[in-house]
Amino acid sequence: MSVSSLAFPACWNCGAPPGGGHFCVGCGKIQPLDPASGYFAFFGLPEKLNLDAADLDRRYLALSWKLHPDNFVRAEEFERNLSLDRSSVLNDAYRVLRDPVSRAEYLLARHGVRKEGQTKQQAPPELLEEVFELNESLEELRAARRSGDAAESVALARSLETAGRNFQAKLGEVDSELAGAFGEWDAALDRSAGEDDRARLMARMNEILNRRSYIRNLVAGVTQELGEAPGE
Amino acid sequence: MSKTVGIDLGTTFSLVAWVNPETGRPECIRGPYGTSLCPSVVSLDEDGRIVAGEPARRRLLTQPERTIYSVKRLMGRGVDDVQDELRRFPFRIDPESHNVIRVRLGERYFTPPEISAFILREVKGWAEEFFHEPVTRAVITVPAYFNDAQRQATKDAGRLAGLEVLRLVNEPTAAALAYGLDREQRGRVAVYDFGGGTFDVSILKLIAEGEGDIYQVLATSGDTHLGGDDIDNLLLDLARGEIRRDLGFDFAEYPESLQDLRKTLIAAKHELSHAAETTVRFLLPGELAYVRRLTRDGLDRLIAPVVDRTFGPVRQALSDARFKPSEMDEVVLVGGSTRIPLVRSRVEDLFGRAPHVELDPDEVVALGAAVQANILTTGVQGTLLLDVTPLSLGLETMGGVVAKLIPRNSTIPASAEELFTTGVDNQTGIDLHILQGERELARDCRSLARFRLPVEPAPAGMARVEVRFTIDASGILQVRARDLKTGQERTADVQPSYGLSGQEIERMLVESIDFAEQDFAERQLIEARNEAETILHATEKSLAGADDNSLDPAERASISGAVAALRQAMAGTDYRLVRERTDELNEATTPLAELLMDRAIRSALEGKKLAEI
Repeated sequence: MSVSSLAFPACWNCGAPPGGGHFCVGCGKIQPLDPASGYFAFFGLPEKLNLDAADLDRRYLALSWKLHPDNFVRAEEFERNLSLDRSSVLNDAYRVLRDPVSRAEYLLARHGVRKEGQTKQQAPPELLEEVFELNESLEELRAARRSGDAAESVALARSLETAGRNFQAKLGEVDSELAGAFGEWDAALDRSAGEDDRARLMARMNEILNRRSYIRNLVAGVTQELGEAPGE
Repeated sequence: MSKTVGIDLGTTFSLVAWVNPETGRPECIRGPYGTSLCPSVVSLDEDGRIVAGEPARRRLLTQPERTIYSVKRLMGRGVDDVQDELRRFPFRIDPESHNVIRVRLGERYFTPPEISAFILREVKGWAEEFFHEPVTRAVITVPAYFNDAQRQATKDAGRLAGLEVLRLVNEPTAAALAYGLDREQRGRVAVYDFGGGTFDVSILKLIAEGEGDIYQVLATSGDTHLGGDDIDNLLLDLARGEIRRDLGFDFAEYPESLQDLRKTLIAAKHELSHAAETTVRFLLPGELAYVRRLTRDGLDRLIAPVVDRTFGPVRQALSDARFKPSEMDEVVLVGGSTRIPLVRSRVEDLFGRAPHVELDPDEVVALGAAVQANILTTGVQGTLLLDVTPLSLGLETMGGVVAKLIPRNSTIPASAEELFTTGVDNQTGIDLHILQGERELARDCRSLARFRLPVEPAPAGMARVEVRFTIDASGILQVRARDLKTGQERTADVQPSYGLSGQEIERMLVESIDFAEQDFAERQLIEARNEAETILHATEKSLAGADDNSLDPAERASISGAVAALRQAMAGTDYRLVRERTDELNEATTPLAELLMDRAIRSALEGKKLAEI
């Protein structure tokens, strides 16, 4: 049976209110996961985006000791499954929250602002011209390689490198823009800002993340193309 | 509580180890041949009985048709996967076999998990012999790069051998665990594990934490078909070619002789780990002799491409862990193939530091397995392993593209949840295809399972089925599905693409349980009989030494009675009865023993007196 899906109003073991944590406050038994509680709550953290990495590491390791299936080898199957569920979510949550970008993506997805696999892969308008040029250079380079024109390939690769560096710099700019938005979000939480404020901030972060993802793909494409250059 | 052992189920050798509670240290258990290495060889004898380990290895030369080695290469694989292996290994595969390979030994067919179970049962027997009690639980190691099907096949083998497999532990991780006991080291560790048939590399971080030590694996990579076997095959190809060219001899008709040649070449390979050169001398059928000088340099040149192949995974793992080779604090060598000087020097060159070789590279994995077995049975005691899944888990989507659910090197247990719906009206099921691998297209990844989620007929897009994929701490996938509209749990009948179904396991289990109990009882009987023989012999000698007058006739009668009863028990097959009667005879001979003891003391005293006079 799925243990994660059932909502338990009382502790499955002792019948007392379990207290909402990983373990029942009364009897200490591991509790089923509430599917509605998210990754932040799992670590006992508010949904803030600026996160102390060392603190997250500490929380992760402390919970690992307690929730890992190693502790439940001798337990009944029901409890073993609870441990499997909680420890797998612990690892998933840590993986997602550790990285700032996936942390923000997760937050937006959780609030329905961002959907997995449905992010727009459109060139940001202000970059249209540069993207167009970049794609053209990529195409020329591939053509030169196909025809075996070594001199032309080298020249094109060099100009592509410059363009790649340019986009890498833009990625840095987007990252600092994102960091700014993180700060605004956390401040909004601190002052208990209204729904509208939060929705506006999330929409902005979503736009930044889309732009970031687009540029990152460009950079990755250039790196890959240059990495495949023959004779290097 | 019965003991839990750690087992290294290797391609070439298997070992069993335990943690000695007196020393708190892991130790390998030696078998009847005085070594802890049990050859991973299985043979079917003429009476239809299974022989495993050393006796089976000897039969490799006399009965190659009835004997199999390196079966680990076939675990969790389909017939199509192993065509390459078939050119290299004398596996006789049932052409009728489908998703699970069946191998022929003599006139019978066995699946790889069954054959592995025979090996497991052999080393389990060693442990039972050692503890004088049945062993029912084990931690078994697997190559870190084993996929889900290979892991499941290993777990199945454990079950078939009558073992509850508490955990599968990755071999390099086990090695790190074994080393951690011996040395107070902290920091980043690279484990290079080059065994008989598989290569693994793992990058770990050792964290000293308030509650104890955490072994956190950051990345792992490898090749499940790269090992010492490949080196042996290169040598065999070389020798075979030269023999054909120079002596005009072909082995096609002489499989026994080919196995013998392989053995000779392996011995030469081992020798070149110590010596700069050696001479291979091999007698062929028909008075021909193949004599060849082999130098270490020559061997190095021959095997360099095989050794090179290990460094692709090494670079991959380092890059996944975001480290440069020079950033490793420790490098650990595991596996018999790391005895090769070329391998050692290449590893040392890459990392820029001398690797650890203090622990026997053949034993270190089993020792680590024993440590983990001890952790699991005594509760987490200051050591926690956080391992990763070696391959990404994904689902096939439209156009045969793979959507990744759980990326490789995710800490396990790991999970992912996906929501599915229907595309057409009144659809009654949703088909899912689960894959493992890093490639974009489903056809380039490893198919793990296909299954159909049942849904209530409804207009398109109305169904909502949530599927939860969980990779457990052994790296094995579990799938659970739930219909969100009805809240109903849906059992997904996951049919593995390459593996035994639940029913097949059950059937084999029934067959093997008889086997297992019989095995244990048989061993106990042999042992009890041996013990009885010893005491019978001693009793006869003592009786002959005691003259009629000194021993009370009633005692003499009671001894005779006990001897007769023991002889009768020995004629039967109940080892418990033999033990009981042995104890009774022991008791009955106590007065006799005392008598003889008295006499011995007296004569000793008398001798002394004489000397004093």
